Parts: sequence; C-alpha cells; structure tokens
Amino acid sequence: MADLTLDHVIIAVQDLEAATADYAMLLGRRPSWRGEHPTYGTRNTLFRIENTYVELLSLGGGSGDPRWSGELARFFDTQGEGVYALALGTGDVDATVRDARACGLDVIDPADGDGVDLDTGARRAWRNAQVPLKASNGARIFFIQHRSPPDALPVAPVAAADGAFVKRMDHAVVLSADMEASRRLWSDVLGVRLALDRTFPERNARILFYRLADITVEISGGAAQTQEGVGKPDRMWGLAWGVDDLRATCARLNAAGIETSGPRPGIKPGTLVATAKGPATHGVATLLIEHTPESFRPESRAPHGQAFDNAPPRRAFTAKGLDHVVVSTADLEATAMRWSSTLDLQVAETLQPEGSHFRLAKLPAGNAFIELLQPLTEDHRVARSIAERGPGMFSVAIEVDDLDAAVGDLRAKHVLVSDPEPGVWPDTRVARINKSFTNGVSIQLIQRS
Amino acid sequence: MIKKVHHVGVVVRDMEQAMRFYRDTLGLPVHKLQTIQEQGVEAALLTLGDSEIELLEPVVPDTGIARYLERKGEGLHHVCFQVDDVERALFDLKEKGTELIDQQTRIGIAGRICFLHPTAMDGTLVELCQPLEDEARAFAGSA
Repeated sequence: MADLTLDHVIIAVQDLEAATADYAMLLGRRPSWRGEHPTYGTRNTLFRIENTYVELLSLGGGSGDPRWSGELARFFDTQGEGVYALALGTGDVDATVRDARACGLDVIDPADGDGVDLDTGARRAWRNAQVPLKASNGARIFFIQHRSPPDALPVAPVAAADGAFVKRMDHAVVLSADMEASRRLWSDVLGVRLALDRTFPERNARILFYRLADITVEISGGAAQTQEGVGKPDRMWGLAWGVDDLRATCARLNAAGIETSGPRPGIKPGTLVATAKGPATHGVATLLIEHTPESFRPESRAPHGQAFDNAPPRRAFTAKGLDHVVVSTADLEATAMRWSSTLDLQVAETLQPEGSHFRLAKLPAGNAFIELLQPLTEDHRVARSIAERGPGMFSVAIEVDDLDAAVGDLRAKHVLVSDPEPGVWPDTRVARINKSFTNGVSIQLIQRS
Repeated sequence: MIKKVHHVGVVVRDMEQAMRFYRDTLGLPVHKLQTIQEQGVEAALLTLGDSEIELLEPVVPDTGIARYLERKGEGLHHVCFQVDDVERALFDLKEKGTELIDQQTRIGIAGRICFLHPTAMDGTLVELCQPLEDEARAFAGSA
C-alpha cells in the first residue's frame, strides 16, 4: 500500500461554538475554516497546523446522509465527546481501497464529498472511504484523497506569543486491549511503518509506535495480553501537541483558565510534557510536548528504565538454552549419592579427562544436566572456590548456536572472553566469560557439533 | 520426579547493570519482572531456551537474599527443578528426613515452590517448583 499520512484528526463536539473557542485557546490559533457538510448533516471547524489539521465536528447544517450524522449521534450517546476518527491521507483513494481489500480489510466504497466555508464561501472537495468499525478494531479510520489544492485550507493564524502556540501534532494515542489485533491492522493491513514495539514492565504498558510521515500513532496497551482483552475494541484516547516553549504555553493556558499539570520531564529523555485538563479539551486526553535537541539523539531512542523491545534486534548469535550446571564437590561419590537419594537424579556417565586434575559425573535432568565436579589437586581453581565459598553451584554452561560469532560479538562489546577450546564433553567447544562482566557468575558458552 | 531445570537463580547487586549483560549483551529476552514483597527482592526472569535465568536483587535490608549478598557477594544462588507435584515431592523429602528450609510449599515467582536446605545437597541450594498452570490442570484432572 502507498504511504499513508495522518491527514487529519476529527474530534466530536456537542457545541461547535464553545469547542471552537476552547480549541482556539488550546492551540493558540484562530480557525482555518468554519463550514458545513450539506451532504453529511454535520458542521465543522478546522485548524490547520504545520503537519496536519484538526477538525471539530458536530451535528447540524441539514439532515444529510444518515451514514455520517447517525453515526456521530451514536458516538455522542455511547462515548460523549472525544477523538472521533483518524483520517489517513492517500494520493489515490481508489488504489488504497483496492490494496486494503486485497489484504482482507473491509472498506466501504469510496465516495466524493465537499464542504463550504461559511465565512468565505470557499469550497473544498475530496474523495474518501470509511473502514467499518468492526474491521478496524473499533478505532474509526477512513482514507481520504483531497481534490482541492493544499492551500485551499489555509494555516490557522497564530494568535499567541512566540513559542506559546501549538506548532504541530506529535502523536495520537489509541488505547488497545488487543495489541496483536492492532498490530495486524496497522502493520499487516495498512502497511504503516512500525518504528517501535516496546514493553515497560514497571508501568505495565506496551506501546507500538506507527509513523505516518512525522506523526506517530501510538497504540497503547498492557504489558501482557489478557484473555479478556482479545477482541475488545480499541478506543481513541488522546492527542499530543508539539510546542516550542512549553512553560510559556502553560502560562498562557493557565491565564485563560485552562488548568495544566507540569511541565515535567517526559518518558522520552530530553522531552518536557504537560497535560491540559478540564472541559476545554472536550473529552480528549491532551498532552503538550516540547522536544529539546537532546530528545533527537540516538540514546534517547534506546530503551530506558526497565523497558525492553519486543522486536528483537538482529544478533550475532543466539543463546539457545541452558546446557548444564556445574556443581563442585570434595567427594564425587558422596555428593552423587545425595543427588540420587534426594532428588532421584542419577549418574549417567563419569569422566576423568586425560591429563586433567578433576573428575566429572553427569546427571541428566530433562532439558539440561547437572555436572558434579571434584578437583583432584588443591591448586585447581574449583578447589580454591570450594576453599573460599564452600562446595555447591560453580558455573553454568549456556548453549549458543555459533561460538565463534558469540566470542567475536562479546569482544566487540568489550566483554572479556577466553578463546574457544574443545570442551571436556565430547563434540563440544567452550569459551569462558570473565566473571567481572556477569555479576559474579562463572559462565561458559558451549557449542555442540 | 524431576521434569527439568526450571531456572538458575543469580543474586545481583544492581538489576539495571545485570540487565545490561544478561538482556542486552547475552540477548536473553525478559519475560517477567516482579517485586516479591515478602522476600524483599526484585526478580527478573529471562528466557534461556526452555529454561530461565532468574536475577534477584534484594531491595529490603536484612532479608535472606540481602544477607546472602553481604556474606557471599554476587553470583549463583540456587537451582530450581520443575516437578510434577511439589506437595508430593515435599512429602517424600520429609519422609526421607531431608533437611528443608520450607516445611510447607508456598507461592513464589515460579509457581508453587519449596526450598531444600543447602546442607541436604552438599552446599547447593535447591528449589522445587510446580508452575501454577500445571497445578490448575492437576486440580481439573482430579475433579
């Protein structure tokens, strides 16, 4: 599918006059357009900002097509005011619909639409196609192709001091209880670029970032998929607006009677955020965000806190599993007897490699084995460990798919690793990682051929 | 009795720093993070094939793990074996007179668990566990 943009975001409002005044204040701009849709039975106010436009939509302006006005009325009945729809921009709506249908998405046939500006009499025309709510997991989306030139919708004039107005949209937030369904829709069907799939265990959150040009659609859900969440509809939740000077913006809003919390540091390092609260947002969770140059540095894009990426980066090697656990003992037979009588783990094999100063016993335990190791000289490193810490767990062997690649990769990351060498067990090669890198754990990497 | 090595427990001083090695350098995916209030530890479970590495950082002073860290420093702490029926396993161990830390099973991060005393295994601290979904299935089977 051709690249989609976030053409505009629609906010459903009950009282268009009040909402227009409130959003003019929130954005620090005068409207670009005030109009009506004779064919839809709706009225609107538009604010074009740098990278998209926001549409406040209410009922009125004639009876119109009940497909649109009826659905808006139902939205008010069930959810009240709030973000109503995301309009995804395309250069060829018919082709986009064909592609989407080929991916199995149900889309209503494209139709022409137009609007009239009540003040200037200007008209704008477009062609759009709606995705039924059932097909889009409950987040209302439609495709739109504008037929009028972009300057038919002028930029909303700034009506606030330098830096204290909304410049651009930063991201739109969709709440999802069924993240895998959302991921299928946005990745597989809509073909939008997934920039990030990250889990924040300490906040019990997982987020997917989809990039539509320079705007992110953030799909936000719980860290783990719950059974109850499967098949539940998504909900449009909020909008984040980019400003140049967050303190000045908050001061302006506070002076106008709009409560803000913040500014405080955002989750992404280098950002400052504040939330705007109260009836002026008309049911939209509203975040104001200021990026500093630091927030664009690569390290700010890396996971922070306890966050981790769900899309694993390409790795030089894979740790396949636990191969065995080495347990040191001063008396191999006595300890083997303990393991046998207590846990019913039996010695399958004993070994004293030629020229070595230790004896081994292998006790299979399902997916891995326990290796009992008795050193035979006092200066053996295992003997020293027994003298210092007592007998017991000594090291773990982790199986890797490619030992040479693993050693190379670890050394590139400045981890001290010994050269690969033949292991004591047949058909194995091993390399040991220096304990100062492993929180005191003696780890050997092992490859079986 | 023993089905597999469920996990190997490692005591660490600084979870963040440990994560940088085990998660980022070694590439083990984290599948669970949990604070265990009654033991005063923060635990992270990292997938290692069909086994796991369990990182434990004491966050409350003077608990068992905190004392272990003070006395012995960071490193290998215990090995946990998965069993079919942990209640039954504990009963059998008592019958044999095995030295135990837990006289009764309890709920831990790995499910229903109990710890043997390290002297019972010549210095190795052994945990037995039965993941909770197994327990649910066992109940369903007996109904």
